[in-house]
Amino acid sequence: MKDINKKRTGTLISIQDSLVKARFFDDVIMGETAEISVDGKFLQAEVLQIQPDPKNADAGIVEMQVFEDLTGAKIGDEVVFKGTPLSVLLGPGLLTSVWDGLQNPLYKLSEEDSYLKPGMNAPALNEETLWDFTPSVKVGDSVSGGDVIGSVPEGKVDHKILVPFSFGACTVESIIEKSSVNITQQVAIVVDELGNKHELKLAFRQPVKAPIPFKERAIPTKPISTGTRVIDLLAPVGYGGTVGNPGPFGAGKTVLQHSLCKYAVADIIIMAACGERAGEAVEVFKEFAELEDPTTGESLMNRMCIFGNTSSMPVAAREASVFIALTVGEYYRYQGKKVVMLADSTSRWAQALRERSGRQGDIPGPEAFPMDIPDQIKGMYQRAGDDLGTEGSLTFIGTVSPAGGNFQEPVTQATMDATGGFWGLSQDRADAKKYPAIDPLVYTTSVYNGFVSWKDRQNMISALRTANDIDQTISTIGLKKVPVSNYIQFQKGQTIDFCVMQQDAFDKVDACTRPERLEVINEAVQNLISSNIDFEAGEMDDEQLKESIKQKFDELRQWWRDWNYSATTEEQLAQLPGAVNKFILQEEYAV
Amino acid sequence: MIRKEINKISEVGKALISVEGNPGVALNHVVELLEADSGQSLSFAKAINITEDSTRFQVFNGTTGLSTRTKIRMHEIPLTAGFSNKMLGRSFDGSGEVADGGPEVIFEKQVSTRLDTLNPTVRNVPKQALWTGIPMIDVFNTLVKSQKIPIFAGPTEPYNRLLSQIAQGAQADVIIFAGIGLKFDEYQYFKEQLSQSGNIDKTIMFTHLAGDSQIKGLMLPDVALSVAREFGDQGKDVLVLLTDMTNWSNILRNVANYQDMIPSLQGYPGSLYSELAKRYEVAADIEGAGSITIIGATTLESLEDPVPDNTGYITEGQFFLDGGKLKLARSLSRLKQGVNGKTRSDHRAIMTAMASLLADAEKAFEASEVGAANDPYSQKLLRYRTDFIENIEEPFGEPIELEAALDKCWSILKRHFEPTETGLSKKLIEEYWDKN
Repeated sequence: MKDINKKRTGTLISIQDSLVKARFFDDVIMGETAEISVDGKFLQAEVLQIQPDPKNADAGIVEMQVFEDLTGAKIGDEVVFKGTPLSVLLGPGLLTSVWDGLQNPLYKLSEEDSYLKPGMNAPALNEETLWDFTPSVKVGDSVSGGDVIGSVPEGKVDHKILVPFSFGACTVESIIEKSSVNITQQVAIVVDELGNKHELKLAFRQPVKAPIPFKERAIPTKPISTGTRVIDLLAPVGYGGTVGNPGPFGAGKTVLQHSLCKYAVADIIIMAACGERAGEAVEVFKEFAELEDPTTGESLMNRMCIFGNTSSMPVAAREASVFIALTVGEYYRYQGKKVVMLADSTSRWAQALRERSGRQGDIPGPEAFPMDIPDQIKGMYQRAGDDLGTEGSLTFIGTVSPAGGNFQEPVTQATMDATGGFWGLSQDRADAKKYPAIDPLVYTTSVYNGFVSWKDRQNMISALRTANDIDQTISTIGLKKVPVSNYIQFQKGQTIDFCVMQQDAFDKVDACTRPERLEVINEAVQNLISSNIDFEAGEMDDEQLKESIKQKFDELRQWWRDWNYSATTEEQLAQLPGAVNKFILQEEYAV
Repeated sequence: MIRKEINKISEVGKALISVEGNPGVALNHVVELLEADSGQSLSFAKAINITEDSTRFQVFNGTTGLSTRTKIRMHEIPLTAGFSNKMLGRSFDGSGEVADGGPEVIFEKQVSTRLDTLNPTVRNVPKQALWTGIPMIDVFNTLVKSQKIPIFAGPTEPYNRLLSQIAQGAQADVIIFAGIGLKFDEYQYFKEQLSQSGNIDKTIMFTHLAGDSQIKGLMLPDVALSVAREFGDQGKDVLVLLTDMTNWSNILRNVANYQDMIPSLQGYPGSLYSELAKRYEVAADIEGAGSITIIGATTLESLEDPVPDNTGYITEGQFFLDGGKLKLARSLSRLKQGVNGKTRSDHRAIMTAMASLLADAEKAFEASEVGAANDPYSQKLLRYRTDFIENIEEPFGEPIELEAALDKCWSILKRHFEPTETGLSKKLIEEYWDKN
């Protein structure tokens, strides 16, 4: 390890946007962080590349990206190398926090100024808050990186205090009794195999670019109840799974993300607002605080933390924000928590890499993205996963904002390759104001034991596909030439689409559908699909018959929609399959 | 204060100059260019790229007439914009200099043009509607105070007319007009419209005409938005009109090109998204202060062009103008949900129902073009579509209050459909169907 007490410095020799070069005479470590002194402020930077100095054989040149605005920087400004890579502070107090992309607490910074100015910073976690620590090891016990030495209650979450992951085998030399401590106080001393003593506190720093290991990694199988019907029925995501969620702007990615934040059943939700609108992150941390957590009934913010590197914040910090958020997710997974992380949007993250590689003069790949962007995207999604060893999981749902709404572009393609699930949002459905605009025919899932049986799911998809095909036929040859039997199939599919696949995210009842409700809906849907409805033609010709069939289905759809908005009691829920059966038998069903 | 002067210009290009060596200038700081013999001020410039061997500057007034003998005087401050309440009613250029031939303005203070990000925690969640009297906006895509939203339109569409119509009705304390790459007629049109509506005394115009120095066009939004922000910080509700951001993006592309940056799509720099976002994100409802609403204009050939595409991901929706009509299908106000639940009980439902029927009608219209929409229901949809385009998508005309616009929606539905065909709930049908 580097002797971090020795001050290593350099001086700026080139400044361009967020990229600088400095000359150094000592030694520099790839990936370490540095501080650049500009007008008395200290700006955070990260080492990207080390080269020889053509002008001075004794010196080297280091290239760095700076996470803050460099206005005022001059040639000759001092750089101090920190010896540690980009890292995140892990410990109690993470939940309910709102940070920028580098884990500066935004509420704390706002006490100083309404605007975010270069050089501003504050401790990532509150240093005064006292936590009730209960030790779980005693003097003489052997521990190593990742082992639990005690715990504190963090709201409803039992927050385990861990030995930092970088530690090898150690022996506990001392540990405090059950007591209230803050994150700066010492709780234990451990001695490593070389006899060096290390102080342990409630919080520690962890590098963000290398993953925290799994204990026993497993394939994600158990589906998450997200409350969104089209997802839970057709494209469920498992605890520990990965999903890419691409869609053109205006297709409803944000509304869907917010809906997942509110209704997904999980212990912890981490949101990385990466290069997106500030207003959307604000809505989450200001409005969600007043909403209830579906499992605990407490404020929704109690299970959340937010990294807001919004679109006007420095681009270089965007890349960092996603890795920081992932590391927090892995930390809670290691404690056995079910974590869902939402990253909006991974395209902005990829663009940040593109801007940087452009400035560095790298040879560009497709659409000027760095050549290795697919590998970087895969590497990022790979950090999600299910851990049998800890019983925790980290689920990663990333939105993708494809340029021009074109799914063939490099980031969408690489994401499809990297994730187990894929929810494609369709412009046509969005234009028709259908929410969610997830095309029921464009998605993939890797969860085979969902909330309904695989066979039922296949039935549903095939009914939707058939209706879609008939719809295309109607558009090309006209309704007249379509046989009545096909028209009925079309109407069935339309009904499933309208009443089940579409949902009103802003209605109290309709916004969230839990498994027991899905079961009732599935029963009705399966009956409708397999039904053979005898519509009496009587005196009517085919055209009139079709008109009358449409009218009957319209009535059913209206009834069903009303049910979506209103049915809450067990008795009301049970009305749906009954009503559909009566519809099938052409009996009166409206109550 | 004695300011350091140097005389080492080594390179003069389009909009950019370079000097040899390191004169000690800091990034984004301003220098003044002086005629070598007379010492007369020619232009200001900003340091954008500094190495120990050379320094590059963007020249505000263009580089024509500069020579290697031109002197550079260092100002050792970043770019600022002058601010004064006396700016109201006046016109300025892209660097904030008086441009209407009137008397000089004595500025009360200089404000930074760096456009620092507002700390998200001091943003209020937008909740206050800005009514325009245009049904397609008020009913279907309600505009909200502090929203950032562009008008997407082809270059020949009347987007400036729409922008000025929205501005005239807007409930704002201050209107900041920021025109980039404008034709003289457009500038004059806005000026006359604002005068006629009596809004000119609360308006400040920042104008860059097509053919003016590119750098002045490039910096115009920053100067205009910094002034807008100062009013906002002082508690005023400010409306900013940015037209046309495609012109601005094209200047950005040109300058990136002069700087030899690697282009990403269609020659635009990879930073296009961040650059646009930095300006649009100034829109905010600030806790304990005022607000800034931004309505932009983005001209386009195709929605997939990089400028509208990136803009769409940044702004809170867009108004899509096509054939002189505000089209429902591609228009969107992302903030409408914060306000349209507190209006009349039928507002949200009728918005959804009409949109969904219009989508069906568009399908029927496509089918009708190949002669495949002969059934009675398709015919109904086609009649509805015509009615909708004429009566709802028309943005120009007498302003209509929200309630009257909603009633108009019901009467259109009733003209063409049976209640069950609308997808509206029974409760709403009972309450409103027969009233209209």
